Amino acid sequence: MNKVYSLHDAIERYVQNGDHIAIGGFTTSRKPLAAVNEIVRQGKTDFIAEGGPAGSDWDMLIGAGRVKAYINCYTANPRFSNVSRRFRAAIEEGNLLFEDYSQDALMMAFHGAALGIPYVPVKMMLGSGLEVNWGISAEDRMKIDKLPNEKFIIQNNPFNPEEKLLLMPTPRLDCAIIHVQMASPDGTCRILGDVYHDVDIAFAAKRTIVTCDDLVSNEVIRREPEKNTVPGIVVDAVVHTPYGAHPSQVYGGYDYDKEFYLAYDEAGKSDESFQAFLKEWVYGVEDHSAYINKLGATRILALNAVIGFGYAVDLEKIIGEEAGK
Amino acid sequence: MNYSKTEMQAYTIARMIQKDQVVIVGTGLPLVGAIMAKRVFQPSCTLVVESGLMDFNPIEMPRSVSDLRSMSHCGVTCPPYRYLGFQANELIQDSQRLIGFIGGAAVDRYGNVSATCIGDYHRPKIRFPGSGGANGIASFVNTIIMMQHQKRRFVEAMPYITSPGWLQGPGSRQVAGLPANRGPMAVVSDLGVMKFDEQTKEMYLAGYYPFTTPKCVQDNTSFHLDVSCAKVLPEPDEEAIHLLRQIDPTGIFLNE
Repeated sequence: MNKVYSLHDAIERYVQNGDHIAIGGFTTSRKPLAAVNEIVRQGKTDFIAEGGPAGSDWDMLIGAGRVKAYINCYTANPRFSNVSRRFRAAIEEGNLLFEDYSQDALMMAFHGAALGIPYVPVKMMLGSGLEVNWGISAEDRMKIDKLPNEKFIIQNNPFNPEEKLLLMPTPRLDCAIIHVQMASPDGTCRILGDVYHDVDIAFAAKRTIVTCDDLVSNEVIRREPEKNTVPGIVVDAVVHTPYGAHPSQVYGGYDYDKEFYLAYDEAGKSDESFQAFLKEWVYGVEDHSAYINKLGATRILALNAVIGFGYAVDLEKIIGEEAGK
Repeated sequence: MNYSKTEMQAYTIARMIQKDQVVIVGTGLPLVGAIMAKRVFQPSCTLVVESGLMDFNPIEMPRSVSDLRSMSHCGVTCPPYRYLGFQANELIQDSQRLIGFIGGAAVDRYGNVSATCIGDYHRPKIRFPGSGGANGIASFVNTIIMMQHQKRRFVEAMPYITSPGWLQGPGSRQVAGLPANRGPMAVVSDLGVMKFDEQTKEMYLAGYYPFTTPKCVQDNTSFHLDVSCAKVLPEPDEEAIHLLRQIDPTGIFLNE
């Protein structure tokens, strides 16, 4: 079955206003940012957002005003923006409905969702502000169908009544979006390096969109099935999107674009400069190809990973030092 | 003094890591210190990180816990839930080898750390990124807390606790449902090393740097610190300084 779509068509068809969405990747690593740009471009909105370890993906959607409720555990582009700026501004200005969890608890909830179980008992968050303070009150939760009525429930372990447990409800995701190194037209995916929560959200969501740096034949990807982690039967759309994670990094593919992240940080300092950034890099750019052309060949090529390292290295410096050993 | 304050801190961290320890270390000075420990003082230590990278030893400084520089040549790239399972099982099996470094915006006398906000939680004066893996680490693992030493960061009261320390003192972790035999072991700041009294669980000054004094540490702390046991900490020699600068040659963390 051929699930190959253009980025435009995949987002138009499989992302809907009001969706409960999770995005793969980790802060500045393997984030499906071409897909996020396209969501912003198409004007889709009102998302129940599962932040996970978020970076500019959710920060951009928050800054563009597309998030109805934000489930946070960490939102930063570490060492570029130690707190994502539009996320920070939205909360400080009282413009964002948000909730905080421990990252581990959210990751367990994604895994629970992938296993099809309703909640996961954990022992994090107890005794902390994450237990005491609810970002979204029980009353507000009642008004949002897609969120559970409780942030969590604390209960004693039925097998050992002295043990206190925190029951994490698992999200029922409408849509998952991940970026992978390699996929085939039937949706089979190969992720190299840490998979993060990507496999879990792909299995958990009703609809899964995959963007990939390399699109290969169904036959080729099956030559090494041990390297594949997402089967095509849980994928709805495959989009061939070379450098589709830019400015984030992809193991074995390309490194983060430091200059771009620094420019993003600068732009995030006010709503005005951020909207100008979106105009320049999202609304003013027709599609991902135009975005890549705008970046330019030299800039993109400089990000390419070096074989044996998986990231871009200063060849003379690092390999020279290695050779000198 | 031919070394910087941050180099002193990184060197102090390196000396705190013990034989065979498994060290949860993200980025920053703890990573510089941990790499030094692995290369020089404790080659048997193993570095892990909350994104699931197990047994990593980067040759170039990573900027984040998911950086490809940590992923490259690491032992296993586990999904994050496996990392959490490891963390939880170390506690269940009563292993003593795990230690975690965490940071934040402020710490109180019991080692409770905030990394979420300053001011009202719903409408904060300053909002930070959030827990990340720190809350889980502080819940399950003995920790070393990294903090810039300023009065506004060493605070009397902690309205929002992101990473639980000894909470309100002796016995309170157990009441909250947290393991009572895990908690903060030390705070490393740019002025010295604080530890926690075994009985009262209150922070005290254990060591200060050759360029600081116990009075200077107290002057930069909002609550009373017992400084009566404080000793001056050994400074890095030429070779150690050279090695630290090799580990972080562009000063991503050492020049911060």
